[in-house]
Formats: sequence, structure tokens, C-alpha cells
Amino acid sequence: MVLTPALGAHYTCPMDKIFLKAAFHRAMLFAGGWLVLTNAQHDALAPGLGVSIAATWLSLRLLPARHPVMLWRLARHLPRFVAGSLKGGVDVALRAFSPRMRLNPGWIEVSCDLPDGARAALGGELSLMPGTLAAGSAEGKLLVHLLDTDAGHDTAIPREAAYIAALIGRRSQQA
Amino acid sequence: MMADLATYVLTALGLVFFVAGTVGLLRFPDTFSRLHALTKADNLGLGFIALGIAFQTETWAQLAMLALIWALALLAAGTVAQLVARAALATTQEEE
Repeated sequence: MVLTPALGAHYTCPMDKIFLKAAFHRAMLFAGGWLVLTNAQHDALAPGLGVSIAATWLSLRLLPARHPVMLWRLARHLPRFVAGSLKGGVDVALRAFSPRMRLNPGWIEVSCDLPDGARAALGGELSLMPGTLAAGSAEGKLLVHLLDTDAGHDTAIPREAAYIAALIGRRSQQA
Repeated sequence: MMADLATYVLTALGLVFFVAGTVGLLRFPDTFSRLHALTKADNLGLGFIALGIAFQTETWAQLAMLALIWALALLAAGTVAQLVARAALATTQEEE
């Protein structure tokens, strides 16, 4: 086959690597979930193999592997996520119980150039962080509802976006 | 004994957050603010209850199962909150 080898190699190789890596990571995730759910019983192993393969195939179809999501990066992000959702829950609980109930709801639009899957992940994450709730996106901008526009909860949004960007192996591109 | 105490304290704390979520649902003024209360407080409530029950587990498999349940509920909470908010936004815009 005659082609420009350098160009061809550069183009196909990283993509294939990303695909294989994603397939492997996702398969591990699904297989792990199956093992936990079935208590790793022996007669559940064979169906689990089929289920894991099917789930990986479906997942790669629904969310093609364009960016490598690394499980270890996800694990490294976990403490920050737990801390954030702890703060979020305490904040909203205090507001709910307080007699004055200090609320000042409002909307902001955040420009966000993450790909679709990552944007949905960011929205889900923001919905569990203090004072922010994502309501989908319009024209590449993420719509975020703020529980209290005076509390400065929106300052966390670029930071979270940068974390999610890092999860898919991107440098921070959020202003 | 210590494990039982941890279970009591943590599950009680979890229940407080579930109550907070429900209080928020009743007291907060609009759909979106109520969603804040439900997703954030309930997620934390479930986390504390799972953590509390974790002190009663006898095998690693049970512990992993608890962690998985919390992770799945978390994933569902974050996703469903966005979907409900988006749907509610579309409805309010239609009404205007």
C-alpha cells in the first residue's frame, strides 16, 4: 500500500490507541460492576462476559471514544468530588432549615467548549456541587441555575470545567 | 460496639439530610431551587446511610456492593437533575 507513511501513522495510531484504551477501560468498569452485583458467583461469570461485551459495544456506540477517560484520573478526582458534594449538601440543608431561608435564585450562561459527553458529566457534577444546577446547554453554552446569586457559587464552575477537561486528557481551556 | 455506634451516628446523619431535602422541596420557592435541595441533600443522605451500613458489612463484596449502589445513585441524581431542570425550563419558557 502506498501512502504518506508519516501522516498516516500519525493520524490512525493515536485514534486506535484511544479506542482500544477506552474499550478496555469501559469493559473493566462493566465487568467490575457485574462482579460486584453478582457477588462474583461462578455460574454468573459466563453471562457476565456476554453482558460486559454487549455493554462495552453499546457504550462505544452511544459515546464514541474520542477522548481517553482514564479510570485512575477518575479515582484521583473522587476526593475533590466527595468534598464538593458534602459542601453542597450541607449548604442546601442549612438553607432549607434556616428560618430566613436566604435564597436568591438566578441563571447564568457559561461558555463551555467541552464535547457532549464531557459537558453532560460537568452538568451532573455541578448539580451536586454547592449552589449550582445545570439545565442542559444551548448553543454550546451551559445553562446553570444558581440557588443564591450572591453566594459566589458560580466561581467554582470554571474550576470544575477544568477538572472534567483534565479527566478526558485536555489541558484547561476554560477562561 | 464501636461499629454499632458509628452506624447509629452516620445513619442518623443521613436521615437528617433526607429530611433537609424534603424540607427544601416543600419550602423552596420554585422548581429549580427545589431540585437543588433534592439532588444535593438526598445524595449526601444516601452517602451517610451507606457509610453507616458499611460498618455492619462482613465481607469486601458487601462493601463493594454498597459503594456501587451509592455510585449508581449519584450518577442517576446528577443526570436526572439535569434532565428535570431542562424539561422544567422548556415548560416555563413555553408558558411565558
